[in-house]
Amino acid sequence: MTSTANLSPADFTSDQEVRWCPGCGDFAILAQMKKLLPTLGVRPENTVFVSGIGCSSRFPYYLETYGLHSIHGRAPAIATGLKHTRPDLQVWVVTGDGDALSIGCTHLLHALRRNVDIKILLFNNRIYGLTKGQFSPTSLPGLVTGSSPEGTTHQPLHPLSIALASKATFVARSIDTNAKHLSETLRRAAEHKGSAFVEIFQNCHIYNDGAFDFAKNAAIRDDHLVQLEHGAPLVFGKERNKGIRLNGSQLEVVTAENGDVPSNLLVHDELSPTATIAHMIAAMSHPDMPEAIGVLRAVSEPTHNELMHDQNPEPAERSAALERLLRSGETWTVN
Amino acid sequence: MTYVVTENCIKCKHTDCVAVCPVDCFYEGENMLVIHPDECIDCGVCEPECPVDAIRPDTEPGLEMWLALNTELAGIWPVIDEQKEPPPDAALWKDAEGKLAHLSRNAVSA
Ligand SMILES: Cc1ncc(C[n+]2csc(CCOP(=O)(O)OP(=O)(O)O)c2C)c(N)n1
Ligand code: SF4
Ligand code: SF4
Ligand code: SF4
Repeated sequence: MTSTANLSPADFTSDQEVRWCPGCGDFAILAQMKKLLPTLGVRPENTVFVSGIGCSSRFPYYLETYGLHSIHGRAPAIATGLKHTRPDLQVWVVTGDGDALSIGCTHLLHALRRNVDIKILLFNNRIYGLTKGQFSPTSLPGLVTGSSPEGTTHQPLHPLSIALASKATFVARSIDTNAKHLSETLRRAAEHKGSAFVEIFQNCHIYNDGAFDFAKNAAIRDDHLVQLEHGAPLVFGKERNKGIRLNGSQLEVVTAENGDVPSNLLVHDELSPTATIAHMIAAMSHPDMPEAIGVLRAVSEPTHNELMHDQNPEPAERSAALERLLRSGETWTVN
Repeated sequence: MTYVVTENCIKCKHTDCVAVCPVDCFYEGENMLVIHPDECIDCGVCEPECPVDAIRPDTEPGLEMWLALNTELAGIWPVIDEQKEPPPDAALWKDAEGKLAHLSRNAVSA
């Protein structure tokens, strides 16, 4: 069967019992993914989810696609190898803030800078969930956990900043329970040619509940989130009367007194050839600044597979070149 | 799958479920709530919260009628995203039989 016309969420749903804690944000992401996949024009058997280790990394079990629950932190490396050899597959990576930014941080950086055509989803709950609640590289200072009884003392990493610094060609952020926004963001990631990185604010209901209340609670979120739209000014606030402006070398919040939209605001440009402003937006953090959701950067660069192909387009010649390389230096035979 | 609200909720309506649902997918009628099956993310956090055990996963047998009812009424009732006081006579109806006959299809009055 090769048609993708009549696929439904049921075609992507496995028979495995979902094992996350009741109320976990991972359920919300899974629900949107199951609805999105049948609309992407790729059959389940041509779709692969590679994960590392963590609660989030249980994701592949629950989808009726190919999947690999791999080694802690190594999903980007494994996905790179897979995409390199099987460019016909749609390859996703699911990872957590511990998996991707502690043990797996360098793997993440290199997959991104190579512009491998894989879609990396980082479920950020700012905690190690699977191991029952130790601080992670994205935990906020002062967080009391099993491994920080007096509160963490370190500065958190910003996943978006890391992705930009790694030259990712697509960088975005969304929220587990914001169904529409998440679905649209994942679709953009899927359609991007090259490495796509999406940070998803994900609530760990058990060990870090409410970590993203500022972005999720309907009563306050509009004042703490700015939704990025290409070509549109950065406006936010319940009254839509606040905005972000570049003042010298700093971003600042401006509020219009008379209820109008403030003027001279920063206009979002996801295609900007330099990531300078994107870096500034990625660094905005609650409570001093609103935090941005949406597509921060989406630029077109040759992918890893294209570059490798262009270097040596003939498969036979590629094998021959490898053979020549292996025998080029000081080689010897062991008797 | 989805979770569905069943008969026990009728005339109880404690709304403890509403306080915990992460995606606000409960819809409110005059004397019952329902879950919107397309919005429910199957997280299961509401099930143990219900004091009258009205919430079931639709994977349990025999719930077809309740799934249909949740689907239909979620389409016409307004969303409820904050917990409220149960009706004053909720306790009287807790273990009552045949509550389906008392279901009001009206949306909650504003
Ligand atoms: C080599 C190795 N080191 C440590 C662990 C223990 N360990 C398992 S999951 C995990 C971190 C999980 O955190 P995160 O990636 O944020 O995922 P979550 O469970 O929160 O979704 C750690 C340290 C391990 N399984 N393997
Ligand atoms: S520990 Fe946290 S992240 Fe893990 S399944 Fe439970 S709620 Fe989800
Ligand atoms: S807690 Fe139970 S009885 Fe109360 S409104 Fe929710 S489903 Fe109905
Ligand atoms: S299972 Fe979760 S998403 Fe579904 S109604 Fe219950 S709390 Fe809401």
